[in-house]
Amino acid sequence: MFLKSKPMWGKKTKLKTSYDMVIIGGGLHSLATAYFLAKEHGITDIAIIEKNYIGFGGAGRNTAIVRANQRTQYNVPLYKEALDLWPVLTKDLDYNLMFNNCGNLNLMHSEAAMKAARMTIATAQFHGVESHLIDAKEAKELVPALNISEDITFPIHGAMFHPPGGVVRHDAVVWGLARGAAKKGVEIHQQTEALDIGTQNGRVASVTTNRGKINTKQVLISAGGYSAALIYDMMGIKLPISVLTIQAMVTQPLKPVLDHVVSSGAYHCYANQTLKGEIATGAHMDPWPNYTTLNTAHYIKHQAEALSEFLPCLRGVRFMRIWGGLADMTPDMAPIMDGNEQVEGFFMDCGWGYFGFKSCSAVGKYMAQFMATDQCPDMLKPFALNRYQEHRLMGETAALVNYSPDN
Amino acid sequence: MALTITCPICGKRNGYEFKFGGEEKGPRPDEKDLTPEAWCEYVHMNKCVAGVQEEWWFHKDGCGSWFKIHRDTTTNLEKEVKDENRVQKAKSGGQK
Amino acid sequence: MMNRFNHLPTLKIDTTKKLAFIYKGKKHYGVEGDTVASALFANKVRIFGRSLKYHRPRGLYSLDGECSNTCMEVDGIPNVRCENTLLKDGMVIKEQNVKGSAEKDYLGFLDKMDWMMPAGFYYNVMHKPAKVWPIAMKQIRKAAGLGKISPDYEMPGKFDEIFLNTDVCVIGGGPSGMTAALCAAQKGLRVILMESRPWLGGFFEYRSGEYKDGQNLHERAQDLAKEVAAQDNIRVFTHTSAVGTYNNNLVTGFQIGKKEDVFDERYLEIRAKSVVAAAGCIERPLIFDHNERPGVMQIGCALRMAKTYGQLPGKKAVFSIGHDLGLEAALELHDLGLTIACITDIREDGQDADLLRKIEDKKIPFLKGWVATKAHGAKIVKKISISSLDGQVSKTLDCDLIVASAGMTPVTGHITVAQGTLKYDNHTGFFLPDKMPEKMHAAGRILGLNDPLSIEASGKLAGLQAAFDCENCSIQEIGEAKKALESLPGPVRGSKLVTAPVKGRKSFICFDEDATIKNIKQAIEKGFDVPELIKRFTATGLGPGQGGIPGHNLPLYVAKYQALSDISIRPTNVRPPLVPTLISTYAGVNHKMFKITPMDEMQKKDGGVFRNIGVWQRARYFSNDFTCRKEIENVRNNVGMLDGSTLGKFRIHGPDALNALQRVFVSDMTKVKQGRVKYSAMCNDDGCVIDDGIVVKQGENDYYFTTSSGRAGQTVEWIRYHARYDGWDFALVNLTDSLGVINLSGPNARKVLEKIVDIDLSNEAFGFSEYKTFDIQDTVPVRAMRLGFVGELSYELHVPSSYMKSVWLMLREAGKEFNIQNFGVEAQNVLRMEKCHIILGQESEQRTNLLDVGLGFLWDRKKSDAKTVGAVALHQAEGDQTRLKLVGFKTQNNSRAPRDGALVVDDKVRGYICTARDSFSLNEAVGMALVEAELSKIGTRLEIYEDECGDDRIYGKVVAMPFYDPEGKRMKM
Repeated sequence: MFLKSKPMWGKKTKLKTSYDMVIIGGGLHSLATAYFLAKEHGITDIAIIEKNYIGFGGAGRNTAIVRANQRTQYNVPLYKEALDLWPVLTKDLDYNLMFNNCGNLNLMHSEAAMKAARMTIATAQFHGVESHLIDAKEAKELVPALNISEDITFPIHGAMFHPPGGVVRHDAVVWGLARGAAKKGVEIHQQTEALDIGTQNGRVASVTTNRGKINTKQVLISAGGYSAALIYDMMGIKLPISVLTIQAMVTQPLKPVLDHVVSSGAYHCYANQTLKGEIATGAHMDPWPNYTTLNTAHYIKHQAEALSEFLPCLRGVRFMRIWGGLADMTPDMAPIMDGNEQVEGFFMDCGWGYFGFKSCSAVGKYMAQFMATDQCPDMLKPFALNRYQEHRLMGETAALVNYSPDN
Repeated sequence: MALTITCPICGKRNGYEFKFGGEEKGPRPDEKDLTPEAWCEYVHMNKCVAGVQEEWWFHKDGCGSWFKIHRDTTTNLEKEVKDENRVQKAKSGGQK
Repeated sequence: MMNRFNHLPTLKIDTTKKLAFIYKGKKHYGVEGDTVASALFANKVRIFGRSLKYHRPRGLYSLDGECSNTCMEVDGIPNVRCENTLLKDGMVIKEQNVKGSAEKDYLGFLDKMDWMMPAGFYYNVMHKPAKVWPIAMKQIRKAAGLGKISPDYEMPGKFDEIFLNTDVCVIGGGPSGMTAALCAAQKGLRVILMESRPWLGGFFEYRSGEYKDGQNLHERAQDLAKEVAAQDNIRVFTHTSAVGTYNNNLVTGFQIGKKEDVFDERYLEIRAKSVVAAAGCIERPLIFDHNERPGVMQIGCALRMAKTYGQLPGKKAVFSIGHDLGLEAALELHDLGLTIACITDIREDGQDADLLRKIEDKKIPFLKGWVATKAHGAKIVKKISISSLDGQVSKTLDCDLIVASAGMTPVTGHITVAQGTLKYDNHTGFFLPDKMPEKMHAAGRILGLNDPLSIEASGKLAGLQAAFDCENCSIQEIGEAKKALESLPGPVRGSKLVTAPVKGRKSFICFDEDATIKNIKQAIEKGFDVPELIKRFTATGLGPGQGGIPGHNLPLYVAKYQALSDISIRPTNVRPPLVPTLISTYAGVNHKMFKITPMDEMQKKDGGVFRNIGVWQRARYFSNDFTCRKEIENVRNNVGMLDGSTLGKFRIHGPDALNALQRVFVSDMTKVKQGRVKYSAMCNDDGCVIDDGIVVKQGENDYYFTTSSGRAGQTVEWIRYHARYDGWDFALVNLTDSLGVINLSGPNARKVLEKIVDIDLSNEAFGFSEYKTFDIQDTVPVRAMRLGFVGELSYELHVPSSYMKSVWLMLREAGKEFNIQNFGVEAQNVLRMEKCHIILGQESEQRTNLLDVGLGFLWDRKKSDAKTVGAVALHQAEGDQTRLKLVGFKTQNNSRAPRDGALVVDDKVRGYICTARDSFSLNEAVGMALVEAELSKIGTRLEIYEDECGDDRIYGKVVAMPFYDPEGKRMKM
């Protein structure tokens, strides 16, 4: 069976001199926004401008975990919708996104953490998202590999169990959305670098790329970790963002041993088993801004120390590959989605930190609505940039965020 | 990467001994007539430069001083910038 | 067991020492020095396991563990690379990924189903209808994965870690690495030499070819190794793989322990001034049909099986090679008794004349410009088809061994993961180092060199360059070394062939993932035009072998298929760990690190139930009654003692001490009076409360203050950060660990304390909110404060840590007549909650400001010159009515207290419960909550939503704070 197949996201075409909309960045948020613009609003004259290749950045570097157990009432509905969209997208795109709703188990290691979990769980349940607080024994029943003895650095008190969460194959989402968008007429221009955004009379007029100038009235920058630098560079807008490297790694593939996503705040570690059998694990960031996506010796050792305590059977398993990606962190661990506010016709979707993957489906839908109608949907209103000026940080994290000296 | 930072007092050390302290933004602005926008800009907003930037570091597992370095955020390597008063500044907590 | 050679000088086995092991449940024997793989091979095992996707039989291939072919389960550990693992007596070895056995695998039929599984096929199937997917997924999970680990597996063995500093770190103990190490060491530098095999020697070790003047390569390797051993300032780590290199010259690796070592494996982290990368070459696989059938192996594998492990790799061989090493190996193996049916060389010309002559002398059939096209044999090699490169002429020969290798490929991972770049070189066909990382140098075969003298000369140059980095070598010396290298033979021309003239349905480019040439074509057709993307789409190079097999061939093939010119051939990314590394090795000794107070032991003896709280271990309860009723009632009615040593304690002094305090504390610190305690708070620049504590003035420009336990670690950083532009002169001393704290609380506290101190403790002499220093028994200096956190008469005694135990015992002795008791952190939590004294982090979250928690009275609005941290934001947010406010509440209808973290709701979330308890002191349920401002009026009804509550609600009513002793008489008595 060696069928000559067509390129999945269209043949390479020439860049036109004008589009209705230009989207800078070829990652998940861009692809999803373009897809929904085309599908739900009939806008197809869109160019996606990607400096590298689609899915080069965070889209291909995350650990593919999806969940809707955020902390605040502003975030939970958005992530809930994102979670609900995976099966829908699988069907609509006719592409197997390999959604494995195996459930997330978030370990709690103290009474204070249990209290924090209780609030998150109550918020989830209040919004119709399934999530439960369970004790250590119940956690062990779900994950037999778990070490619930007292004899570890952070003994396990219990866990937040969130059954509808799980894992989606991240590459499939990139390729599926790209194919879906391209089928409807969206042009995806890889190896194309956006250099500048031109404005006229206070509104967006053009985008200059290394392949020529494009006239357009609406531009979205959703370039993941690179957004903040691009937005400052092209629009002179500073953002409350710190771009950090976040690392993840996989072990050699194993037969099934871990049926859920397990994570621990105290250990700064999460782990799940991919469909291929690898244990994918990661968590915290190196706390200084950089654009290298390089990994560190410090980090892989830290992960090993953490895993060998709370999932001790993994001591007999080998790490195989570590990689890094960028996380654009905001002080309140919540994203910035805004448009027509700073400059007419200019939209931004950034500051997702390490939540960019799990949110992309729903955000694509709402950003598309925002751009198509020029009206900010209620769902996105709390995420506007001016919240920082108004001292109304989002509260997605209970504790102080400690990667910048702000706190 | 294996970041190293050159502390003016202790010399070149492992980057994990230090804590990052933000982009250089100058001294605290005067509070009179300060708009929420200007204050927010000072407190929260960053340039997020992809390239060399001037930034603050604190030697937490060392001498406990704040000092500035120039670092290329695309390579994580320090750029040496001559400053004869670097040691003195660090000793007095930053700038004098 | 077959006969083993026992007289070759290159052997690393001792045939007189037998080792027993269990394989498939039966006892077998190997000899000392065997790897698991060589021992199994000696026991006639040819099929070691089955491949991931198609369950194809797999066997020995590289002998360096570059693919998963010979990964097996050893002593319960999955995916052990048998080719690199030394056999130990009593080992238990099992096959992986087989249904049945490796020999007879019931899933072997999958190999015929490949037409159903083109590249990325799984994205297009199994999702329609949706209910199929969960079932399919279960099957996929079962089928995927190599190796098994049981959830209750307990890893045996000892693991260690060392962190080293050195001048020069040399990666690779072959001839160039050893020469580089010697050269740097002779300059007086400290050198670390890492070699992944258990012995030094590398490319020379197992070869009999001539080095120089009649000395052979093996002897030369031995000489170099002796020289290295004699050099005191070279520390040699054999059986040590360098798995990570990072910029600024950090190198990590792991070392396999020898019998006499105290560890089984050990993690190494080396900080060097300069690094030499000299890891040599591996072989580039030759791609033809069934190119991974057991019986097909690379040159080094076949040769080293004989010369290192003393066994012939087969009886009758066909060679299909593209490098002189293949000719050399054929000659040596021929002399050792291997029948060679034919050598096909993919090179039309350029072979070493001497080797050609010898081949002719020995009458070994030799074909230039021919290549293997297909290995025959259902499970192991029986025959081979060979053809001319254009595929026009072909023939088939009987054999049981195919030695196949397209050429060499340099091991450049140590350079690229440290951010060096590579460039495709048309002459060698290699990706050669282009831009080296700072202070890293390449030596040996990595540079494309093949001549023994050139290899050593490049080592010398790299050693001198490393010495130069350490400022121990002159430019002239480097110049001379360069010249010497240039006068010797340079890089040899490499073969370019990627695949034999085959369609590629069964030609494997990646063994680990069962990816074929056909899969690569399919991916390219689908629009995946960059090797990195093809890697993702086909999983090529993403298996346990870390891309060792396809790493070089993939970009070459993609370029060839797309007809790209040399310049755009780009290598794929290599990522650490360069060799798969055990999690237990990375974890090393894995110490638990917590701070304990001076009272730790005694509180444990007293029945304290300890918890990790921040960086500390603290007694949270003193019984199994976690409501702490007894502890609470004892403090309310009698007297209790709490170990508060975790509190942050600081002295700040110097001319600008007051300026610094004014900057970070919201209150006017000029009003701190000697002998009085001032309670204040710190905010961040958003006005959010980050800390609270007390400040006392000890003298002129000399203050003592406390912070919350969790903040103590950041306080120096915080204060200095916010003073960094001011050039103020003050000294800040963290006394947290040098002073312990005893909180003596309860109506009888005065009576107890009176018994051990000789100062006047009457309310008039030492009143509420006052501060005193005195010595206990003229010996122990104590700072004492009258505070009211728990709402009772209470003394907080700050005592030098070393005297804590003594003072504690004195108090306990003195309190005996009152039946004084311990109380823990949870009791304190309830006691203070009844008084509505907040704990930051409990009654606040990240976004809660000073005004929200009702601490606005602490804020002095007039000291704007002080530029107090948080003041600007507090001014700006002051009128905002939409913020959450802290309120006190009681439950209605005698309902129990809601659990901490429950929500306050109507049709949406309006706030949450911070702390709430059924109060024994008040006999009702009370608590504090953060709610939207419009719900904060006294008397407002709160609808409380708990997790798992369904339609049930708890109702509360906002009441005045505090709940207990509102006038504060008890703490002031």
